[in-house]
Amino acid sequence: MKFLVVDDSSTMRRIVVNSLQRIGFGDTVEAGDGQEALARFDDSVKFVITDWNMPNMTGTELARALRERGEQVPILMVTARSVREDIIEAMEAGVNNYIVKPFTPQILKEKIDALLAAAPVGA
Amino acid sequence: MTAAAPATRGDRLYDTAASLRLVDNELRAIGAEVPAAPAAPAPQVPAPQAPDLRGRLRALLDAPAEAPVGLAALPLILERVHSEVHAVLANLRDSRAAIESATVENLQRTSARLQEVTSATEVAATDILDALDRTQGMVDDLEAAEAADDRTQSAAVRDRMREEIFGMMGALQFQDITTQQIAAAASVLGDMEARLLQIARLFDPNAAMPGGGGTAAPDPRTFDPNATTRDASGRQALADAVFVTRDPAHPAAA
Repeated sequence: MKFLVVDDSSTMRRIVVNSLQRIGFGDTVEAGDGQEALARFDDSVKFVITDWNMPNMTGTELARALRERGEQVPILMVTARSVREDIIEAMEAGVNNYIVKPFTPQILKEKIDALLAAAPVGA
Repeated sequence: MTAAAPATRGDRLYDTAASLRLVDNELRAIGAEVPAAPAAPAPQVPAPQAPDLRGRLRALLDAPAEAPVGLAALPLILERVHSEVHAVLANLRDSRAAIESATVENLQRTSARLQEVTSATEVAATDILDALDRTQGMVDDLEAAEAADDRTQSAAVRDRMREEIFGMMGALQFQDITTQQIAAAASVLGDMEARLLQIARLFDPNAAMPGGGGTAAPDPRTFDPNATTRDASGRQALADAVFVTRDPAHPAAA
């Protein structure tokens, strides 16, 4: 199953990719912002993990863009933002679940497992 | 006299400066009419623009055409200057409290943010150093297990080492959050710089930042001004609660 990991921090991308590999998801593609993510998104991507604050196109804008294109791929937001209004905005943009930074690999695994169980997607 | 729109601070400063220039010109004009002493020739002064100056003086004082100008008008001009300076000072006093309160609050918040950066960096460094200490001990354990040809023990130690290394990588998440905190602090400093420049330009329209340019403000889309490393589990619980509240069937409810 291919994961698209979107974050403008290369450190965070490495941490997320490393965490994914550790929990058994080694097929990843990376993007530095929402625009790049849209360019890299294709049918092979089955799961999107995105940061919120990024240049050019934010994580919520990416989620909206994907939903407007009719994409049903699970979107997991991993962000430092944790104000109630932000979380609601992310939900309304089409984000399926939300992880607050700094996160543990256990939380990442729980959220991915829950989303895959709720909406199974092809590997 | 017709009712005029309330003058802004800028208008008042401009009028005050204009009044003072007129007083200066008038005094120069009067000085030019005094015969110069033969031993010390008077410095060349620009030719007084009497008709225009008188008209401007009358307009400035809202005075009728027959009102005195020149030296006789000086008390009126000075009174006008005095009242304008008073009005400007009153305005500055009024705005000072607001500027002080906004600035102090911003500075305190920024200072707290930068203290958190220091703290988060220290916590992460300590966590990583502790993990390295533990890993060094595990290397000894591994050597001992291999010397004893204890494969089970070797495998267990290697797993623990992997956990430690993985934990160290996770501790580096502080870098992303502190980057956002520093960007937020830089944004506040850029804002304060712009405000200070505005105030400086009240007194000198040509005031500029040294070097010609201001601080480059970070892109506000790239950072969260409330980013923090603190209470991640509490904030995660809030996020989960929001998802579950708005969608009881949400996977986060599981």
